Amino acid sequence: MSRKSERLVNLTIALLATRRYLTKNEIFRTIEGYEGNDESKERMFERDKDDLRSLGIEIEVGGFDPIFNDEAGYRIKPENYALDLGEISGSDIALLSLAASAWNGQALNAIAHSALLKLKSIGIDSDIDSIPTLAPRMASASSELVNVVEAITTKSAITFEYMAQDLSQQKRTIHPYALASRDGHWYFAGLDVDKNAIRTFRLDRVQGEIVLGKKMDVFVIPTGFDLFSHLDETVSQKIATVDVRKDKAFALRKQALSIIDKGEWDQISIKYSDQTTFLDSLLWHLDDVLVIEPLELRDSIIDVLRTMVVVHGKK
Amino acid sequence: MAKNRPAPIIHTERLLALVPYISAHQGIAIADLAKAFDVTTSQMSADLTTLWMCGLPGYTALELMDLSFESGFVTIRNAPTLKSPRTLNVEEVISLLLGLDLIKESLADNSQIAESISRLSKRLSEKAGVSANFRAHDPVSSTVRAEIENALSKQQTLEMTYHSLYSDSFTERRITPLELRVEAGIEYLFAYCHNAMAFRIFRLDRIQTLKVSTEKAVTIETDTLKNAGEVSAHISFASRARLMKERFGLDDAPLDVKVQVASFSRQWIIRSIFASAGSARLVEPVELGDEITEKAQLILDRYLAH
Repeated sequence: MSRKSERLVNLTIALLATRRYLTKNEIFRTIEGYEGNDESKERMFERDKDDLRSLGIEIEVGGFDPIFNDEAGYRIKPENYALDLGEISGSDIALLSLAASAWNGQALNAIAHSALLKLKSIGIDSDIDSIPTLAPRMASASSELVNVVEAITTKSAITFEYMAQDLSQQKRTIHPYALASRDGHWYFAGLDVDKNAIRTFRLDRVQGEIVLGKKMDVFVIPTGFDLFSHLDETVSQKIATVDVRKDKAFALRKQALSIIDKGEWDQISIKYSDQTTFLDSLLWHLDDVLVIEPLELRDSIIDVLRTMVVVHGKK
Repeated sequence: MAKNRPAPIIHTERLLALVPYISAHQGIAIADLAKAFDVTTSQMSADLTTLWMCGLPGYTALELMDLSFESGFVTIRNAPTLKSPRTLNVEEVISLLLGLDLIKESLADNSQIAESISRLSKRLSEKAGVSANFRAHDPVSSTVRAEIENALSKQQTLEMTYHSLYSDSFTERRITPLELRVEAGIEYLFAYCHNAMAFRIFRLDRIQTLKVSTEKAVTIETDTLKNAGEVSAHISFASRARLMKERFGLDDAPLDVKVQVASFSRQWIIRSIFASAGSARLVEPVELGDEITEKAQLILDRYLAH
């Protein structure tokens, strides 16, 4: 293992240090570790190039010199290799380190940790005293989160089994546009290829693996697509008028568009989209709320209450 | 970003990251270096031995990196080529962008820092060519979380304003934090409540304000922790299984199955049955079932009269 990594490090150093393109022959002649016949050296080098690229190192090909030979040369441009965050202060480093630490023990921990090591290698001391004491924590997610991130960045389709309301599983194929966490859960949204419509998914309802399509760049993310505003948009279509008891139902009051004082009660108007979900949250508040409008919502509540009285039995 | 990269690739990545890290931390102890890179000390020694062999073509003392670590402390000289840390890859940028977005809200009061965050996010997004499609929102104030973590480590008692969802009211409480827990994406604080003189579970996102109490913390016997007022109930489900599964925290898909649910609050059980909109039926305890019938009838009468 160390021989191979030693060769890869030496190759990186040589390609970084050179001011001109190095030909394959120069590489084989000068860099330690290329052994065997021409064919096996060739194979080793091809693999090494792929390996360095998989680490995100850009290797440039060029320098065809017509006078001497036709051979391609290779180099790594220092400006592509090195981290350059522009002018950066100790307070900035502290903020970025805090941002990385939010992933402690969470899905992107390894990735955030490697970012943190790079930040600590810049040579600027983190000025922790310049920022308030905070303990941010990312919402937990399965390891599948990494696949969603990769799909969004490479613009690849993803396929997965999704748990529907009735617990049945559906196979979905999505072009993912955005990823967000809210209220302790991760959501991703994108184009549902079969339904040809934008859909939002909760990551913990995905069953099993999220499989990435082999092809990259299969879609374009609409500019300005924002999952939060998308969630909000679909969450606000109808308006209900509800009486709420004074000093009660804070969760509903928080979402109220307006509040009118009616003595023992307040009358609030509130936006909702999915009647089933809204009904649940109204029922949660028991006798502290009374729906005035719309009529269909009132009727559904009355139906539910009748059912509850029946199934729980009369005294 | 394959999840399982071959060992030599991971190793190479670590070796490349080591050079700038040591350059920025000259004289660091091998043990600390191992800890920073999350490997064993012997692995770190092996890494350093490998690095010691690396350098520019020629590989004489002039071209090799001048790495010394025999004393147990690591210094590096003559490594200008690798001295700068590698550029952040797109996944690393995204992890930082999400992290910055998460802390943005907690820092909103501090306009100078909020500005720094926006500037950093913009610079990172531009560098990596990532659009603003990554957002993170923390339902819990990270100041609150920091206060609790601090109180836990110092065994301090806290004064808290809490919004109880079960009783739907705000209360002032004096609590001694005992444990932070995460269940189904929700963060809970297990604490001793001095007002109730009992153990209570609080949701972090319902804590409104928090400050260290001036009174001294009391020692709490941990063996009295168990069964602190737990109510258990038998509930049967009819439909809307996904919601029921998530609400009652069940592992198996329940459909017309009796399940046992334990909760610290009767109120929670009653409200959960109501919010299940007829999909759940409480079987036991019977008196709780009667309470539900009564309540449902009361609300129903009000609707019919209105």
